[in-house]
Amino acid sequence: MARRRAHKYVPLPAATLALALAATACGGGGGDTSADSLQVWIMEGTNPDATAFFDAVNDTFTGQAGIDVDVEFVPWADAQDKISTAIAGGTTPDVIELGTTFTPEFADAGALHDLSGYIDDPSRFQQEMYEMGVIDDAAYGVPWYASIRSIIYRRDIFAEHGQEEPQNWDELRRTALDLAEAEEGMIAFPVPGSAQYSVMPWIWGGGGEVAVQEDDGTWTSTVNSAEGRAGVEFFTGLALEDGLSTTGAVNWNEIDVMESLADEQAIMAISNSSNPKAIIESNPDLEDKLGVFVLPGQESGYTDSFAGGSLLSVFEGTGNEEAGWQYVDLLTSGEYFERWGQESGFFPAGVAEIEAYADSEDPLVRPFATQLLEAGRSTPAVPAWSRVEAEGVIVGMHQDILNGNATVEEATDSAAEAIERILNEGS
Amino acid sequence: MPLTAPVRPTEGGRRAPVLGMRRRRALLPWALLVPPLGVIGLLLLFPILRIGWLSFRDFKLRNLVSGESDFIGLDNYAMLLTDPYLWRVVLVNTVVFAAVAVLTTVVLGTLVALLLANLKPVTRVVVVSCIMVAWAMPAVSGTYVWIWIFDVDQGIVAQSLKALGVIEPAGYNWFADRFWFYAIVTLNIVHSGFPFVAVTVLAGLLTVPGELHEAARIDGAGAWKRFWHVTFPTLRPVFAVVTVLSTIWDFKVFAQIYLMPGGDVGGSQMLNLGVWAYVRSFGQNDFGTGSAIAAMLTLLLLGVTVLYLRAMFREDELR
Repeated sequence: MARRRAHKYVPLPAATLALALAATACGGGGGDTSADSLQVWIMEGTNPDATAFFDAVNDTFTGQAGIDVDVEFVPWADAQDKISTAIAGGTTPDVIELGTTFTPEFADAGALHDLSGYIDDPSRFQQEMYEMGVIDDAAYGVPWYASIRSIIYRRDIFAEHGQEEPQNWDELRRTALDLAEAEEGMIAFPVPGSAQYSVMPWIWGGGGEVAVQEDDGTWTSTVNSAEGRAGVEFFTGLALEDGLSTTGAVNWNEIDVMESLADEQAIMAISNSSNPKAIIESNPDLEDKLGVFVLPGQESGYTDSFAGGSLLSVFEGTGNEEAGWQYVDLLTSGEYFERWGQESGFFPAGVAEIEAYADSEDPLVRPFATQLLEAGRSTPAVPAWSRVEAEGVIVGMHQDILNGNATVEEATDSAAEAIERILNEGS
Repeated sequence: MPLTAPVRPTEGGRRAPVLGMRRRRALLPWALLVPPLGVIGLLLLFPILRIGWLSFRDFKLRNLVSGESDFIGLDNYAMLLTDPYLWRVVLVNTVVFAAVAVLTTVVLGTLVALLLANLKPVTRVVVVSCIMVAWAMPAVSGTYVWIWIFDVDQGIVAQSLKALGVIEPAGYNWFADRFWFYAIVTLNIVHSGFPFVAVTVLAGLLTVPGELHEAARIDGAGAWKRFWHVTFPTLRPVFAVVTVLSTIWDFKVFAQIYLMPGGDVGGSQMLNLGVWAYVRSFGQNDFGTGSAIAAMLTLLLLGVTVLYLRAMFREDELR
């Protein structure tokens, strides 16, 4: 009897528990977005401010499709974490810009929507980039823009000291040495430690391979071949033996390199095709003072540079795939496809669109176009590649040498071993 | 046995409400605790259980998308425990750093508390307000300030040392040197951690009866002896609390390492358990292994805390 009476009072805690559950559950379910708004994530890094461009795109899209668009800019460095977290939490956007090296991994994981049925004519896109989004004949990304790295230099300082654009590695080194002597206090040629795409060209230029697939399907890295080492040795030697960089540059990424140009600290540096505009945007004094030259070859010709860029993908299971595709299509065809190239300094990833740049008269564009069309290279189009980047294999190798923790031989050996281990182990 | 008393049949009708009251009174604290317990359960217990569950599974990006995964028993743990990287780098970084940081924080905090206790009330308020700023500084902003201070080319430390001729004009990349990297992290952590210790110990100091010190002084005890034989024993529980809390904080330091140059790269010599768990999970999309690292960190912390708590309760029994 007593028990039954006591029972009367039990609902109090039960009610509070229910209340607590309800209160906390609100936080979890709040991420639900209405179906008539399209969520888009665009990467930001060393490119000029893109707000105005996307305002225009979104106005057009809303006018055509009657759907509002919400664009969020995500820094490249946070992208991978943010996407994984969004997948886990079910808060993925509808449309996302993915770097070429990321796309295979997310496509392979099943996170992206198959767009093959929508793409009318795949041949109008730059094929190497298109292939980055293809897995088992299904296309999970549409090439949006290509980016390429060459060397931006201070035309005014070169002219002042009678220096010419170098034609091979030795000239590059001697030019830098002369300028370092002439311009004390400036950095002749920063050798950044956290910028893997600034390291790869030297490996390729020396004759090494970051990774190649053998006939039996296994991957081999010749970073530690005599040729690969010669390239790494040359690049790190610019910092270690010739003192052309600074000690602090070991901690720099591509954004820091760009800032050193914008702050008038660096005289020349490996930079992205989108950098000239961004540099002038942040320091208008440099207008007319910048020049660009293609990465010179070891003896002559050109050194291959990393050709990256982005694809646009639509996430699977958002219920907005159709509208997502329409938005991707708007960005990757017609007016906006080309306009993005003009405004950002990247190259629209269409065959016809890129070729139009080859004859460009703009001295800040043409060398990049030449580099892209004649001396561009990408990383292996396999899902496991992104783990080589995530584990910082190239960055670790490069920093170990720059910090004096390992010799070129030791560091390239362990890098080659790590690349082969990761790629051959699969994803 | 209060529960047997209520069931005396003779007076049942009239006694029952009182018994209900008693029971009600026993339940009331729990009822009041339910909301916080519910929140803790959802926000803390669920993630912990989820991490435990994940740590026994092969869980990669693909599984994150599909939601399906395979049970692999202790494979994740076996792989981690046989990895020399754990023993040579991560565990050493975590434990040695935490030990040094806790000791430094508690000693510095105590010294500041002793100073504060001897200040006039107005001065004390001013000084406490100043050190509170260090405590209130968010970890991320604080870390960036330290990174700027120690910037290899332009930082004030580098510039001063170069001017004094202590280091060569080319500079030195301390972020690449494990010892100096952690020296900077320790500075950062001690700077943001000592105010809590100082204020807590100060609160304790103000409760130590003045007569005890007076008696000790009459007996001829110097400052150190008075601290060690009078203040410290009286404040033992306070020291236990600040030490336990500092230990927990310093074992799971994350932002202060992750944001430093070289602190976010997998395979670097600078990671501790917390950062390693994150890099494994979100950098390399290996959520199973990442969870196993997190689980090991939790167990390690539990172990350390239990040791401390036992030491603390033993002291209580003695008195």
